[in-house]
Amino acid sequence: MLGDWKRFILILVTGAAAGFLWNAASGRGFALGRSVLVQAGDEIVGVADARTLLDRGALFLDARPRDFWRMSRIPGALPLPEEDFDRTFAEIEPRLRRASGIVVYCSGFGCEASHVVARKLRERGLIAAILDEGIPAWLDAGLPMDSEPRS
Amino acid sequence: MSGLLRSPRVQLVLRLVLGAFFVYASLDKIWSPAAFAKIVYQWQVAGPVPSNLVAVTLPWIELLAGLLLVAGVWKRESALVIALMLAVFIVSAGSVMARGIDVENCGCVSVAKAEARSSWPPAWTKGVGWFLVSRNLVLLGAALVLVLAPPPRPGSPPEAS
Repeated sequence: MLGDWKRFILILVTGAAAGFLWNAASGRGFALGRSVLVQAGDEIVGVADARTLLDRGALFLDARPRDFWRMSRIPGALPLPEEDFDRTFAEIEPRLRRASGIVVYCSGFGCEASHVVARKLRERGLIAAILDEGIPAWLDAGLPMDSEPRS
Repeated sequence: MSGLLRSPRVQLVLRLVLGAFFVYASLDKIWSPAAFAKIVYQWQVAGPVPSNLVAVTLPWIELLAGLLLVAGVWKRESALVIALMLAVFIVSAGSVMARGIDVENCGCVSVAKAEARSSWPPAWTKGVGWFLVSRNLVLLGAALVLVLAPPPRPGSPPEAS
């Protein structure tokens, strides 16, 4: 009643094969074995290493829109929103230059803002690590957030 | 009602509309696989690598099934593939909504970033929400009509199948 299962499987397999072929040969493909957000030069740190860096005094930067930072943030984090990068960077540049280490984070799961901000910092001569999977990974590890409202 | 759905003309219309929609929906995603992979990842249904695999393969399955449906080749099987995809989309969208995840662009037909609220079509038609679920339920109904259509009788015209 539902048709021929071999044809059904053939449609799925042929479509998938065409997709892999296109990704490999079209020039429009991308690396499948890692997050699509990661580019050459990006330094990714896991949540355990990020915690260690925080304990050692690294400066954390919140790349989400400023309203999200106002509501909650990794303890001590400063806002450096992707959409307001230039103005905010000018304000906090001296602190960034003095920092012993920098970690940028955002909302995780497809949030590209931390990657974009880290690359912009790199263009300005500042090395910044990106927190892998952002805030969800931080929370999943049972690590604290600062929820004191900020203005 | 069931008689109407068995009508060859109704099935022809359903087949062409459903097939054309899936062909159209596949094109932008095929052209920009990395952008589509970011959107799949935002749904938070799968990790980064599985999201990549879905982003690379799904649009081509949509294209192939849509073309077959439009061409009238392997109609039942291609409709079943589309029905299966729609069922997965509906369940995934329900999961996204239940978890309160904000996905501005579902990646259903375009990988472009969500535009200003005043733009057309409105942003709520692009995000993951009730509009998407309702639309997919309608499309799923159309696909199931084609899947469950009675098999062709010997000697009957092609569209009677």
